Amino acid sequence: MPFKKQKQHQQKHSGPKAEKKKLKKQNGSTEEDERKRNPKAFAVQSAVRMAKTFHRAQDIKTKKHHVPVVDRTPLEPPPIVIVVVGPPKVGKSTLIRCLIKNFTRQKLTDICGPVTIVSGKKRRLTFMECNNDINSMIDLAKVADLVLMLIDASFGFEMETFEFLNICQVHGFPRIMGVLTHLDAFKNNKTLRKTKKNLKHRFWTEVYQGAKLFYLSGMVYGEYQNQEVKNLGRFISVMKFRPLVWQTSHPYILADRIEDLTDPERLRTDPKCDRTVSLYGYLRGTHLKNKGQVHIPGVGDFQMSDVNFLPDPCPLPGTQKKRALNEKERLLYAPMAGVGGVVYDKDAVYIDLPANHVKQLQEVRPTTELVQSLIETHVTLDAKMAASKVSLFSGSAGLDPTDISEVQEGLREIHVWDAHTQTQRRKVVFTGLEEEEDDVSGSSSDEDDDGSDQENQEEEDDLSTFLKEVRDKSEKATKGSTPPVKKRKLEEMQGEEEVIAEAPAFADSEDELERGEADSEGEGEAERAGDSGHCSKESEEDSDDEEDGDEDDESMEEEIGADDSDEEEEQGKYHSGTFKWKEGLQQKASAAFLRHQEAAPNLRKLVYGSVVEAEDSEEEEEELGGLFRVNRPQKSKKVQADALDCSHFNPDISHNWELEEMLNSIRDCFVTGQWEEGQDAATLLKEDGKSSGGGAFCSLYSELKSESDEDETDDEDQQVKMDDEEVQKNKRLEKKRRLKERFDTEYDDGDATYFDDLKEEMQKQAELNRAEFEDMDDESRVQYEGFRPGMYVRLEISSLPCEFVTNFDPHYPVIIGGLGTSEGNVGYLQMRLKKHRWYERILKTRDPLILSLGWRRFQTIPLYHIEDHNGRHRLLKYTPQHMHCGASIWGPITPQGTGFLAVQSVSGVKANFRIAATGVVLDLDKSVTIVKKLKLIGYPYKIFQNTCFIKGMFNTVLEVAKFEGASIRTVSGVRGQIKKALSTPPGAFRATFEDRLLMSDIVFLRSWYPVSIPQLYNPVTSLLLPVGQKDSWSGMRTVGQLKHDLGVRNKPSIDSLYKPITRAPRHFNPLHIPKELQKALPFKSKPKLLQPKGKVPRDLKRASVIREPHERKVAELLRALSTVHHYKKKVAQRAHHAKHKEFLQQKEKDEEAKMKRMKDARKKLYRIMGQKDQKKQRSSLKGTPQDD
Amino acid sequence: MASHGLTYEGCNFLRQRLVLSALSGKRVKIKNIRSKDDEPGLRDFEANFIRLLDKLTNGSTIEINQTGTVLVYQPGLLYGGTVEHDCNPQRSIGYYLEALLMLGPFMKSPLKATLRGVTNDLTDPTVDLLKSTALPVMKKFGIDGEGFDIKVRTSWYSRGMAPGGGGEVVFTCPVRKTVRPVQLTDPGKIKRIRGVAYSVRVSPQMGNRIVESARGILNQFLPDIYIYTDHMKGANSGKSPGFGLTLVAETLNGYFLSAEMLSTPQGQGDPILPEDLGRNCAKLLLEEIYRGGCVDSSNQSLALLLMTLGQQDVSKVLLGPLSPYTIEFLRHIRDFFQIMFKIEVQKPLEDERKGGDKVLMTCVGVGYSNISKTLK
Repeated sequence: MPFKKQKQHQQKHSGPKAEKKKLKKQNGSTEEDERKRNPKAFAVQSAVRMAKTFHRAQDIKTKKHHVPVVDRTPLEPPPIVIVVVGPPKVGKSTLIRCLIKNFTRQKLTDICGPVTIVSGKKRRLTFMECNNDINSMIDLAKVADLVLMLIDASFGFEMETFEFLNICQVHGFPRIMGVLTHLDAFKNNKTLRKTKKNLKHRFWTEVYQGAKLFYLSGMVYGEYQNQEVKNLGRFISVMKFRPLVWQTSHPYILADRIEDLTDPERLRTDPKCDRTVSLYGYLRGTHLKNKGQVHIPGVGDFQMSDVNFLPDPCPLPGTQKKRALNEKERLLYAPMAGVGGVVYDKDAVYIDLPANHVKQLQEVRPTTELVQSLIETHVTLDAKMAASKVSLFSGSAGLDPTDISEVQEGLREIHVWDAHTQTQRRKVVFTGLEEEEDDVSGSSSDEDDDGSDQENQEEEDDLSTFLKEVRDKSEKATKGSTPPVKKRKLEEMQGEEEVIAEAPAFADSEDELERGEADSEGEGEAERAGDSGHCSKESEEDSDDEEDGDEDDESMEEEIGADDSDEEEEQGKYHSGTFKWKEGLQQKASAAFLRHQEAAPNLRKLVYGSVVEAEDSEEEEEELGGLFRVNRPQKSKKVQADALDCSHFNPDISHNWELEEMLNSIRDCFVTGQWEEGQDAATLLKEDGKSSGGGAFCSLYSELKSESDEDETDDEDQQVKMDDEEVQKNKRLEKKRRLKERFDTEYDDGDATYFDDLKEEMQKQAELNRAEFEDMDDESRVQYEGFRPGMYVRLEISSLPCEFVTNFDPHYPVIIGGLGTSEGNVGYLQMRLKKHRWYERILKTRDPLILSLGWRRFQTIPLYHIEDHNGRHRLLKYTPQHMHCGASIWGPITPQGTGFLAVQSVSGVKANFRIAATGVVLDLDKSVTIVKKLKLIGYPYKIFQNTCFIKGMFNTVLEVAKFEGASIRTVSGVRGQIKKALSTPPGAFRATFEDRLLMSDIVFLRSWYPVSIPQLYNPVTSLLLPVGQKDSWSGMRTVGQLKHDLGVRNKPSIDSLYKPITRAPRHFNPLHIPKELQKALPFKSKPKLLQPKGKVPRDLKRASVIREPHERKVAELLRALSTVHHYKKKVAQRAHHAKHKEFLQQKEKDEEAKMKRMKDARKKLYRIMGQKDQKKQRSSLKGTPQDD
Repeated sequence: MASHGLTYEGCNFLRQRLVLSALSGKRVKIKNIRSKDDEPGLRDFEANFIRLLDKLTNGSTIEINQTGTVLVYQPGLLYGGTVEHDCNPQRSIGYYLEALLMLGPFMKSPLKATLRGVTNDLTDPTVDLLKSTALPVMKKFGIDGEGFDIKVRTSWYSRGMAPGGGGEVVFTCPVRKTVRPVQLTDPGKIKRIRGVAYSVRVSPQMGNRIVESARGILNQFLPDIYIYTDHMKGANSGKSPGFGLTLVAETLNGYFLSAEMLSTPQGQGDPILPEDLGRNCAKLLLEEIYRGGCVDSSNQSLALLLMTLGQQDVSKVLLGPLSPYTIEFLRHIRDFFQIMFKIEVQKPLEDERKGGDKVLMTCVGVGYSNISKTLK
């Protein structure tokens, strides 16, 4: 076919199309937005589809949400734990060395144990190398914040990588960053690229899509390239972490220093004795409580005997504004690697002098550290001396220097102006006095001292003056509202003036009270209502009965719990010259106030005893001078110990609710009382009026009023005005705040979702957590919060096995994991478990398994089970192949939802994947509910109609009695019930069935038998093994291993063996039907056919006919004739048939013709009829003719 | 692995110790229980309480020596479920209920406890009081829900006064995994006072007489006072006669302060006039209001416990003066959970008429989670 040229496209140069194009070219694309330019393309085609897309978008959005948690990271967080993992010879140590060099400019040749460095202004890092032991891998996965996973690209992935990833998945997923090394082994660039891509995608499927994978392309002088390491370092120092559940709910420490504190003498005598060891490290996770229980993975559970915090060995730099750290701030701390040559303990300084590392270090640190330590010593030698104790006899409490000073030289003099006598007096201050006043119980021991004693007399005087001072102070405090703490110092300087300025010392107390009341009326707010109530009440009591005053007071003291009755007792005795009762009254009033003042600091002591030695306080009471124990029956204590256990708080008897003052003192507790400025409805209304633009009159009025207020205030002195300004300012601020709040609530909350609200709530809580204890010193803060994460702490554990110290290897991590409440107990755990899909065998029930759960690694014996539809836990012999099943173990109580993994052995390195199973804890219990099926088999030995006697199922009558009413069944499916035991043979019983049994039937009873879990809890003590063999821990062996090791073969039961089947030929007897029956049967069913034919008797047989020749001829002829006749007949019939057919056709034709005729006739008729009708209609339309 | 136990002496605060032991899982040993008494050892009601605790837990071991002076309690798992218990009439149901309130939210399955015995007596907070004050306190901590109630009125309920008893109470409590941290610092002003004046096997006029006299005092402060009278007859009235009054003051911020007073049990002590009782009870309420705080004095320890068992967040609560029972409870909390409270005294301002000193208790929770609750 010849090629036909097609018509070419011709561009239009004129016409409407060309015009359009030209216009487009000139203007460019007028509409940038596709949607606007081409609205049709983006029109809604289907509402359903649109709803779907919207739905999906929302789904994706909400999927990204995490459950908001309270941010509990402390202000100064602990160093981030970076674990470097990978198979051996992949370059882990090199990478750590390079990173350390990158951050600190120091070289560390040997990486031993954790290395802490300061990487930036806000971040510290702790590097830890993870060796190839699965124990280390498990432990470090639990504490890691960031995992650097090294992969040898020239080799590809190794099993360890996947094992570690799976361990991480189980114990919360820390951030994981892959690092490909040995990339210089690739010569071909294309293969390099391909390998990178393959590895990256495999890594992504394991971690998450888009996980960061770093490439370290090659080595330069045995180190990675500087630029690449720097990039990696940058990535590390800006990385963010999501809190992991286990880590944020448990305190833990990655120990970076360990000291053996055991008494050397004990060590000498018994080298295998339990050691007292102190462990050091940064506290991570959450608050650590003193004396709590901890678990050291690889060692066991221990009680901490002591915890204290130490100065940070690797502190973050100060908060100066600068971009980079200077040389001094680039700290490095790695005691296990021999860096950090001088280390400080709470009571000692350790100077480590290793052979090779010290030199470079000394240039940087030691001098400054020493100076620092001197600066940081807060306590002087005197104070330390005072704090030290001497004990003369073992067992007796230490003798305090305060005890001695009390006896010997506890008197110091202070010159005090006494208002009573108008003289300067020398006040004796007992060093112990103040403490005694504070200590509630301490003062009671002095009660039986003689009051007439000269010294005591003086003491009382002092006391009284002291009380007076306090009272003066209080009075002042009520006038000017400066804090009382400052007054204490002012007092000594201004004391004279003040006292004189005050009411005269001998003034009538009632006068004074009246004055006070008058004041309160005059100034309105000068006097505290409650206080005046106190005074008046006391005066009343005293005027009623002077003697009873003391008792009343005592009852009042119960309110605070203080028991300083000695003060009261002696108050009456001095000042004999003056009005005795009135003086006493004043003293009491001041004492009451004093108690109020003292209540604040005392309350804590009252509840918890003294802070430092809470435990010792009880002993102190029992001892005198530290030497002799007073065997005094502690009456008050005993009474309390055996008192009625009742939560009622008996009301204060001293409050008399008949009095108006008392009633007034609680007026404001009710809505009918006076409201605070900010909440008062009246003021709020007024403010509303002010703020609103419409209320011009209101604002004018208020302004006028404020002006008039100012006029009034002008009369008052300057001081008050200053105060007023302050108050006004505060008020304004308060008002602004409230306005803003209202604005926020009005406008911000519009589109806040539930998620936002929740987040905000968490945020608020986090702020509160931070702010609450912020301005406290660490010493007391630790008391309330516990040790907070980020602190460098020292734990003392008193009974560690000696192997921990002797076999210590710094390459293995020592982790101290804190345990929560009741996590130290053991019980039954129910878990959901799945065999790992890469583990090649299924797990057998009752085979010991090593579990990593919580902090712990332990061997236990699990039972696998599955839940039936009715909630029954049925025992399984093996774990299912690809399905979850239940597992129950005896093990440490761990909160539900905690993940675990199981391995069959932790020793050695196997070629295969080692993680056998993973799962999660579901339930904790003290009992087990697993059952297994048990079929009891019996045989009938006597059968009645539907009842039969069965034997062999039970052995005694008692056993039968237990199962009375139980349902039983035969193999053939006949159901029945156990009725009653029979006396003989023992264990036989009567049972009824729904049908008659056969003797050959087997009867069985289906029952469920509870299974008990073997109580094996065997912690993996891999850290106690000798150095170099730490990865060879082996626990209990499985039955299979045991048999294999001992060469024991199972002897199979003979019954179970396969034998050739020999079958005897079967012989069937004929079916015999009795004659009677045969007779009765209908003829059809009679076994006639089956009867063999018997001989017919001769007489019944028919005789054969033999024809004569003539007869034969005749018969022949007749046959021939009949044949001819038959033929003729046939022919005639055929002819007749044809004729008849013809006739029928003719008849049909005639019929047709007739029909046609008739049709025509009918047609004619109908036409005529139709014409007639038409005519008629037409005529009817016209109207009837007249003539009709 | 054996947990280190704690040792105490004397029978006082037995409930606290056992409850805290059950919650913390720590073994507790109590020695010298009335060892110097004429009748040494545990009393019937204490043994009864231990039996109740045994019903609620699974796997706990209790050892008591022959004289009953030493008790060793190794706690098991808090199980809950449906429990029926006949309380000893020596103490009222309140004695048992106080402990159940503390344990209830931390069970494996929701608790439904039916307690029979004395519903109201003088020594312990009555059931009415606990219903009206303890439940709102717990609700603040997020322990809420449909089945959270103390039902004093069952179908065959009867109020049982001391000493005979014969009352029945049903306490139902849902299970929580964690407890919310709270900031209860502003009590607000009291907006209404409610109360119940109950009388059984006495003249029905008693109730009205009590109400009259109580209102007489309280009306000085507040008009919104309503005191219900609850008179019981026949089978519902228990075995002993008596009458009493429970008053509850509700603040604007939803806190409840309460007071109660009962007639002395039949045949013990001097009989008391209902008028006096009403007046005294009103005064007790005033006393309670004077003490103030967000939680009334009988529930201080409950609130503090729930704060302790909260998440690791700061909780604050404003209390009136600490009762001796609470002070001991604080010490016990320190022993069992190593938690100390920051105790700050808040003095009323000079011109404020809001009663006495308040105590602001602050603590960081232990991060307790209910380990008995099953994960599905």
